[in-house]
Amino acid sequence: MFLIKLSLKNLLRHKKRTIITAAIIAWAIFFYVTFDSFLLGMNDMVFQNIIDYEYGHVQVANQTYWNEKDELPLENLILNNQSINQSLTKIEGYQSHASQLNFQVRLNDGVNETPVIGRGINSNQTLSVLDYEQYLEEGEFFKPGEYKVVLGKRLTEVMNLSLGDYVTLLTRTESDTFNTIDAEIGGIINTPNPSINQNVVFVPLDIAQSALNIDNRVSHYIVKLNNKNFNSNIINSFQSTLNDQNNNLNVYSWRDLDEVSITKSKQAGNTMILLIVLTIAAIGIINIVILAALERMEEIGMMKALGLKENEIIFTFVAESTGIGILGGIFGIILGAVSVYFFSNFGLDFSMFIDIDMSTFGIPIVSKIYGVWNPWTFVYMFFFAIFGSMLASILPARWAAKKDPVDAIYRR
Amino acid sequence: MKLLSLKNVSKIYNQGKIEVPALRGVNLEIDTGEFTTVFGPSGSGKTTLLNIIGCLDKPTDGIIKFDGNNIADLDKSELAAIRRKNIGFVFQSYNLIPVLTAYENVEFAVKIVDHLTKKEIRERVLKMLSLVGLEGLEDRKPNELSGGQKQRVAIARALVKEPKLVLADEPSANLDSKTSEDVLEIMLKMNKELNTTFLFSTHDPLVMDYAQRKIEIKDGLISKDERREKVDVFN
Repeated sequence: MFLIKLSLKNLLRHKKRTIITAAIIAWAIFFYVTFDSFLLGMNDMVFQNIIDYEYGHVQVANQTYWNEKDELPLENLILNNQSINQSLTKIEGYQSHASQLNFQVRLNDGVNETPVIGRGINSNQTLSVLDYEQYLEEGEFFKPGEYKVVLGKRLTEVMNLSLGDYVTLLTRTESDTFNTIDAEIGGIINTPNPSINQNVVFVPLDIAQSALNIDNRVSHYIVKLNNKNFNSNIINSFQSTLNDQNNNLNVYSWRDLDEVSITKSKQAGNTMILLIVLTIAAIGIINIVILAALERMEEIGMMKALGLKENEIIFTFVAESTGIGILGGIFGIILGAVSVYFFSNFGLDFSMFIDIDMSTFGIPIVSKIYGVWNPWTFVYMFFFAIFGSMLASILPARWAAKKDPVDAIYRR
Repeated sequence: MKLLSLKNVSKIYNQGKIEVPALRGVNLEIDTGEFTTVFGPSGSGKTTLLNIIGCLDKPTDGIIKFDGNNIADLDKSELAAIRRKNIGFVFQSYNLIPVLTAYENVEFAVKIVDHLTKKEIRERVLKMLSLVGLEGLEDRKPNELSGGQKQRVAIARALVKEPKLVLADEPSANLDSKTSEDVLEIMLKMNKELNTTFLFSTHDPLVMDYAQRKIEIKDGLISKDERREKVDVFN
């Protein structure tokens, strides 16, 4: 108890030094907590964007197609029949579903040409799964059989197109012959998902199937369930149903998507960077313990002369560093809580600081980023600060405690 | 009663490839309750002798018996245990802990030794501070005390655990002559009242005048060992 009291008093010996070291720890915690909150917020938004504007909760596709889906192949498509459509409605938590056909397109306005993704859809079905309707800025979605397309706003800006303009979609059929679709721009959408806004041209499904000469086949189905956090057993159960039908189809959760994995990898990378920041704080602790030990060498000698054991001397230094860790931890989580409260309520619009499009970095977010509360980060960081400070001080404290008493007393 | 005996104790320091002998076969016996000074020129081996007797350092050779037990071959933790219980130290530069008050500096020494109750510790510390004449100054920190007062705190700290032996390395080196006298009188008083054995090194003739026994050390060997029957400094 007395040694704890001594350690606490030692904390006040060099107040400025204690405050600066605690401030480094507090800053590291504040930075980590705030960044973690943003990462979680960004992840949530990315996942929600992917679900709401691209993939729905569940996708059903041929396994071979799925593996090659980024190349937009016209092989291994699914015959859009009654049986599969009925099966989809039996997934637990089912709300709606839609079939889609993705294909390669070169969008031509008569002057310029750009490669984009053609997406054949049934408007009614797709709007029941994906949240496009409220982001339709001009015009409307097409009806089956209409030679109309819907483009993202960014794409119309790049191509300098307006509602009512005519465009030509150059594509290749399944047998690799060229074909075109001439269509009027019937609608312009501006969703929070930048990849939809700049890379996709929506075409009536029947028009696309006809132009590609693929009969009534589609790339995949997207399904909306009543809850994003559905149990993975639902997927397994539906996969069994599909296996029984022997149609070589697989079920994919939104969690399986490459974009989700990439986002998680980015988060892991960012966590590494943040751990480096915390390592700097640990170096601060090591530094302060070494400084304190050098300053108090005669005291250490006196303590050893009094008969204090090495472990007791180590304890006084470790307890002092732990005190700094507690101080830094408390200030850090208070600052972090203020920061997360602010950003979770008001968000952060990066365009305020720099004219930056987050999609440039592969992040499908165009609006503000909001922080997300993660209480475990606070708990974990608080204890990390305490245990980190404690652990960082052990080696230099051992070095000090192992000093020969005579050398310490006479500062040799 | 014999408290300490050294037989043929030597200490050699290795400075790179050179061996520097600090003690060359010292033989010495000290009885309980003695008030002894060790003097001699700088580098004669006084401090080395005190460090070895105080279990802070180990001899290169020889036998040291403390309270009947050979301590020459004990390891660091066993030596620490002997220091903790049996030996008090007074240093030239006081070595007080600056963040603790006079009371806490003394309390520190007793808290690590005995499992006394709070009340007993308090009584013992206050009594010791009173004996060294620091009544009323218990709450002062070292930077609020004069050199003499600091050394009194150091003496109280050395004595509070009621050790068998108190070692003082040049206790008056940083004090003026009047304060040195005061401090020595206190040490002598403690020696008489508590029958604690005192052994201190010094250059100061004034300090030597207080000693019952004067041991001169030269080139690592005891060259003179004189005893006086009685030292009365209180009249």
